[in-house]
Amino acid sequence: MSSLRTARILAWLYPPMWRERYGEELEALLAEMSGGGRLPWRARVDVARAGGRERLRAAGLDPCGAPSDQARGGILLVLVSWAVFVVAGTLVQKFSEHWQDVTPSHSQALPSGAYAGLVAVAVCGTVLVLAGIGWTIPALVAFLRDGGWATIRRPVITAALLTSLAMVATFALVVWAHGLTGRQRAGHDTAYAIAFGAWALLGTACLFAWTVAAVAIGGRLSLRDATLRLETRIAVAVAASMGAMTAATAVWWLAISDSAPWFLAGRAVGEGGSPLAPQMVAASALMVFASLLGVAGSRGALRALPALRSHGLG
Amino acid sequence: MKPKTGAGGRDRPNDPTVLILTSLASGPKHGYGLLQDIEAFAGVQLGPGTLYGAISRLEDRGLIEAVGAAGRRRPYRLSRAGADVLDATLTGMRAIVDEGTARRARSPAPRVATAGGPA
Repeated sequence: MSSLRTARILAWLYPPMWRERYGEELEALLAEMSGGGRLPWRARVDVARAGGRERLRAAGLDPCGAPSDQARGGILLVLVSWAVFVVAGTLVQKFSEHWQDVTPSHSQALPSGAYAGLVAVAVCGTVLVLAGIGWTIPALVAFLRDGGWATIRRPVITAALLTSLAMVATFALVVWAHGLTGRQRAGHDTAYAIAFGAWALLGTACLFAWTVAAVAIGGRLSLRDATLRLETRIAVAVAASMGAMTAATAVWWLAISDSAPWFLAGRAVGEGGSPLAPQMVAASALMVFASLLGVAGSRGALRALPALRSHGLG
Repeated sequence: MKPKTGAGGRDRPNDPTVLILTSLASGPKHGYGLLQDIEAFAGVQLGPGTLYGAISRLEDRGLIEAVGAAGRRRPYRLSRAGADVLDATLTGMRAIVDEGTARRARSPAPRVATAGGPA
């Protein structure tokens, strides 16, 4: 590959606005550095890393930026981790349907408590996330009044189109499901199972499209320091709620593997089986990952908090 | 909290922003010229991405400014604010150098322990 072509590809790692301003210069520099030969790998890696940093910076997630940018970056990372956690939580919810029906009643206290705790914390976490989003609405209105729509149009329209598609798909799926028996709906109709899987993927795509849009918007809003301080506290609470839900899921899983292992193994009541159901392993791994991401985000936001305080009025 | 006086608020001599401001103190330079100059006076090989990341931040802060364009290369020069920040950064570094030098002159060389026992 020619050095010029390599330089062009590397320049595409940067966000469009940055590329527009510095892209040509960077390409010229890379061409000069290669001296007509191959560009050293060290230089390629350096450009790739810097491009990633600029993308984070463009999204308002600059880890080396001003305290307000660091706080904002941490808060938005918690929002992203929440989206990942929702997917994991949905997997657990789907997998755990009807667990009470096959668990001996004398063994239900612990898993019931854990599950109820999981649901309660999930509701609290959702309320906190919505409150955090709601708190930024005045800043969003001001941003749109100042002509900010053009900068966020693409991700918002993409998310809105995906949501419209998901709504149509949901309607079609509900109509289809009404014509099926319970057994067919439970996975014994292949076509319906495939359609359900596609619908779940579409729902996940919607969730992430709105998260991307929220990050794009959140990175551009002018937020007062007081707002950032409040959002940081909400982010910490959301991260804590993810940790609590992960713990509750682990307790439920352990309790069920002790009292109803057949449920986890997908076997008839009374039969044994491995408690390591692939769905639960995948969902739990995703939960742990999202929780860690949430901790990292809230930690980043918290570290910027003293600097925000010292700046005084927001 | 420590006030941000330096080029990047960090006052480190090998910080890319400090190196770029120092390089531009002798006149305008484009990207490749900056890399060569910095390597010559500081022995630091900045990567191209690191260089342009620092250039964009310095330009955002009004510490350097572009001087027209020479083909696809664009030279940069120190702005008035950039010169002030560089002066403040160098003063801060000089204070540390002076203090360190004075302390070393006052105290004897530390004894180095060896693997076989005390020196």
